[in-house]
Amino acid sequence: MSEEGSFEDARRELEQIVAKLEGGQASLEEAVALWERGELLYRTCVGKLDAAEGKIEELGKRVEEARP
Amino acid sequence: MKVEPLLYGDRKVYTVSAFNRGIASWVARLPSIWVEGEVTEFRRQQGWQSVFFTLKDSTDGACLPVTMPRSRFDALRLDLADGMTVHVFGRPELYEARGVFQLRALSVEPLGLGAILAGLERLKRKLAAEGLFASERKRPLPLLPRKIGVLTGNDAAAKRDFVTAVQSRFPAAHLVVAQTYVQGQAAPAAISATLQALAREPEIDVIVLTRGGGSFEDLLPFSDERVVRTVAECPVPVVSAVGHEQDTPLCDHAADLRASTPTAAARLVVPDERELRERLDAARAVLARGAKGALERARSSLARDRERLDRAPALLVERKRAGLEALAGRLQALSPQRTLARGYAIVRTDNEIVRSGADLEAGNRVDVELAHGGFGALVEETRR
Repeated sequence: MSEEGSFEDARRELEQIVAKLEGGQASLEEAVALWERGELLYRTCVGKLDAAEGKIEELGKRVEEARP
Repeated sequence: MKVEPLLYGDRKVYTVSAFNRGIASWVARLPSIWVEGEVTEFRRQQGWQSVFFTLKDSTDGACLPVTMPRSRFDALRLDLADGMTVHVFGRPELYEARGVFQLRALSVEPLGLGAILAGLERLKRKLAAEGLFASERKRPLPLLPRKIGVLTGNDAAAKRDFVTAVQSRFPAAHLVVAQTYVQGQAAPAAISATLQALAREPEIDVIVLTRGGGSFEDLLPFSDERVVRTVAECPVPVVSAVGHEQDTPLCDHAADLRASTPTAAARLVVPDERELRERLDAARAVLARGAKGALERARSSLARDRERLDRAPALLVERKRAGLEALAGRLQALSPQRTLARGYAIVRTDNEIVRSGADLEAGNRVDVELAHGGFGALVEETRR
């Protein structure tokens, strides 16, 4: 339904990364890589929220045609 | 009734009238029966001797013309209208003048609540048996739909409740609203067509069916087989928010999720933006803390290593020195000096230590070593 790189995919990956980092088992290199990836995902998510614009469209015409 | 053919040589030929009369008399021998269908094309006029309507099978559209003497119809005091489901008791007959097969009605009964409920139960069982309501068919809703399709009736309340709730939770939501007939004869077809039209719209990730409360009959279109099937087959997830909490039209079972009210539906289709942002920020903070923690752990373990490294040479010297001192102590313990100090003496002759009187003779010269200094002496006598 959603295109690739959707909000939920980014959000899910961010949560996984957070869980991994919280575990405290990651080596320094892993931790830095996870953090960089997580930061990118965070920006993706917030960017999508910022980009959305509230809108209400009416599907009037097409519905008229669909009416029996 | 005897129907006489015309004879053309060997060929028996019937006139149209004779044929119709013959078929009619055969059809007339069939018993009277009950037929269930939906009333369409209902026609009743003062001047006419009969009323006419067509009974339609709502599942496949099969049709049966029905006539009824007007006096008999009027005596029933029915408020018959298109779209009603009825039971007609009648005789099959052929209308000879036009060769039309029809049902001559003796009685018409609108379906009572009991019959409607029984019909719904039957439909529910049938659709359930087909797997339309199976839980494994249910799809998860997107966390953040790009566009939300809203199918609503002309009643402003349900639409307003839904839109208001969506916008207060997620002001940036993009709604595509389609209004259609949700009540009456035309509703099932209109709802199905509108739902399909919404599903064809690009970027719609979820569709909400919403309609305010109404009587049991008002909500029946949402239990119509066509509507239920369209909901089940909809390519995007559908949330059903029809009527009130206690109403469960069949489309509720076919939908991916059911909401008790339009406001509840809004809570299902959009996240709370503030909460979502807070959670994202919290995730980011944990992320930064995690990275910083790993960094600090690495740094402090590095510092520990460094310190150990620094201390290593000094420790080595220290350890060697201690070893040396222990050795010196042991050496001292073994030296004769301490024995001499306790009053013993070492006697030598010709630089050999004397251990036995037999080694000496009177007149030998010996050298005696004491703790401090010593002396030379001559042996006067020896003992063995």
